[in-house]
Amino acid sequence: MKKTLIATLLLGMFASPAFAGETIKIALTGPFSGGSAPMGTSMRDGAKLAITEINAAGGISVGAKKKKIEIIERDDEGKNERGALIGQELASMGDLSGVIGSVNTGVVLAGDKHLQEKGITKIITPAAGSASMTQWSKAGAKDLSIFRFAAHDGIQSSMVVEEAINQKFTKVAILHDATNYGASGHDDLVDQIKKQGNKLEIVATEKFNIGDKDMTAQLLSAKAKGAQAILIWGIGPEMAAVSNGMAKLGMKMPLIGGWTLSMSNYIDNAGKNGNGTLMPQTFIEEAITPKAKSFIEGYHKTYNVTRIPSPVSAAQGYDAVYIFAAAVKQAQSDDTHKIKTALEDLREPVKGVIGTWKHPFSKWDPANEQTHEAFRRTDAVMGKIQDGHVVFANEADRQRLIKNASK
Amino acid sequence: MNLDIIAQMAVSGALMGLVYALIAYGFQLTFATSKSINFGQGELVMLSAFFSLTLLDLGVPYWLMVPGGLMFGAAMGLVVERACVRLSLEQKSEGWILLTIIFGLLGFSAAENIWGRDDRPFPSPISADAMDFFGISITGLEISVAIGVFLVMGVIELFKRRTLMGKAFEAVSADRDAAELMGISATHTIMLSYGLSGMVAAMAGILISPITTVGPTMASALILKAFSVAVVAGLDSGFGVVVIGICLGALESLTSFYLGSGWREAPGLILLILALAVRPNGVFGKASIRKV
Repeated sequence: MKKTLIATLLLGMFASPAFAGETIKIALTGPFSGGSAPMGTSMRDGAKLAITEINAAGGISVGAKKKKIEIIERDDEGKNERGALIGQELASMGDLSGVIGSVNTGVVLAGDKHLQEKGITKIITPAAGSASMTQWSKAGAKDLSIFRFAAHDGIQSSMVVEEAINQKFTKVAILHDATNYGASGHDDLVDQIKKQGNKLEIVATEKFNIGDKDMTAQLLSAKAKGAQAILIWGIGPEMAAVSNGMAKLGMKMPLIGGWTLSMSNYIDNAGKNGNGTLMPQTFIEEAITPKAKSFIEGYHKTYNVTRIPSPVSAAQGYDAVYIFAAAVKQAQSDDTHKIKTALEDLREPVKGVIGTWKHPFSKWDPANEQTHEAFRRTDAVMGKIQDGHVVFANEADRQRLIKNASK
Repeated sequence: MNLDIIAQMAVSGALMGLVYALIAYGFQLTFATSKSINFGQGELVMLSAFFSLTLLDLGVPYWLMVPGGLMFGAAMGLVVERACVRLSLEQKSEGWILLTIIFGLLGFSAAENIWGRDDRPFPSPISADAMDFFGISITGLEISVAIGVFLVMGVIELFKRRTLMGKAFEAVSADRDAAELMGISATHTIMLSYGLSGMVAAMAGILISPITTVGPTMASALILKAFSVAVVAGLDSGFGVVVIGICLGALESLTSFYLGSGWREAPGLILLILALAVRPNGVFGKASIRKV
């Protein structure tokens, strides 16, 4: 009995490495629990949907045979120290082809350095603040294995300011949370207002803490100083408190802010007070193209939901997998370094659910992070909350996307 | 500055302050009888809120959920008393400090594992729409908080003054040894006070959840404020916590309006330091005279 057990164990030890070469290992990481969980789990589930499709079609052809994708899942809980541990663990796996994931900037800062050290290819999606890429340009990294597949804060803040100017506002208040994310969002907004010709006067700048529920003081200050719109940077629960506070004080002005306003914990906690809130989106859960239709229906059916918790995250996770798969195919290898080189020069356009990705990344240049950023201004649209769903704020955007897809 | 705004700030702040007062009242109840407090009171608020939310999810109607949630709170209070307080009181040790903190941590982890880490909305039949009183907007929910706080405190105070059990409670608070010589069981009275304290925590949870949402960290900010209120008011004045709670809440709102939202927490801390320096027994506290 004992002997058979040992024999099985030994067999297992020798058998698994031989087996590993048969698959392409991709790690999916992110906060699958905690305050940012809607983003993390939607990204994971969107990515899994793409992987299931690829595997169902036999996998990716590498050399003479087709290889299937194997998923390694790690929950970083949105905690920096977990991010560091997971980064170390993944970096020490010899046969990992790549990593897709992350939401929280702190987690990325703690974990990605381990991946970069070993040159493991990672696509950051659905989020993470600007620092996740600027850390490498600041350090002057000559070669970088980290890519970002998300509408960066620069795009978002420029769209927020643009929207306020388009609506002919002249006085705005900026509300932001006291975290790094909120503070850098505030700086980006102030920057953009300058860049776009100082057409907006900031009449009030107010902070709130994570966990704050009573925003009366901040809102009254904005109201008293004559703000016509509120620009906001924070995460779901506190922004919901702001929205509920505005309703209470009878402030009918629009709330415009970062894409976190589309998180389900904002939409649910703000309820009907959330109607009309505006935020940049990379994907709207509306079946405007055949590809979007099959993706949305697939997601709803597979995970038995009627609403994707974070449609943006799900769509980005889905497209990131297809881009990664295209790189594997072009490299004709599951070697993470070769995949990185292929990602920097993808020859064939990748048809995704957000759009068609033509040469999304290029060779890393420490003077220009844009080389490893896939999203441009035109890839994002303004979204609006209406009765618990995010819809297109501008019909023009909707038509543009339909036209692009039919091309 | 516009008078309307000042009034609005003060009223909104004061309503928040009433919640601090209610939680502080829970500290007081147990301190009166046993000279011990439950440092895990915030977790009791949170656990009761989650339990009540679960009842609602199971289809229990709101008005039946309220007594259910209160019973749960009372039961949790009794558990705390039995598990963390009784033994250390018998040994005249201060072990209850650590034990109640540990019980709180345990409750926190349990909540994370049972209900998850997300903040969840708490449905309520009371309207969240704003009403206008002389230019001040107040929501129905906020009014319900005020009514609820006064109701539960009023009932408990009446109970203490009008019933035999309540009188025993007061007797043990006044002098435990003398009360025991008169045939009052101090152990039972302390149990009663912890049960009541747990019920007060549950009431606080049910009242504020529709405004703050329910999550494992929902009470961590509140509990510190409540503690300041209890210390500033004095740990043996029910009337005092209401006054101090209202003042602190209003002061917080006004500070964050005039000095900036980053200074919001400052008045509570300054009040706490001042009170400890000038009136260590609290503004409404009685100086304790120990006859030997």
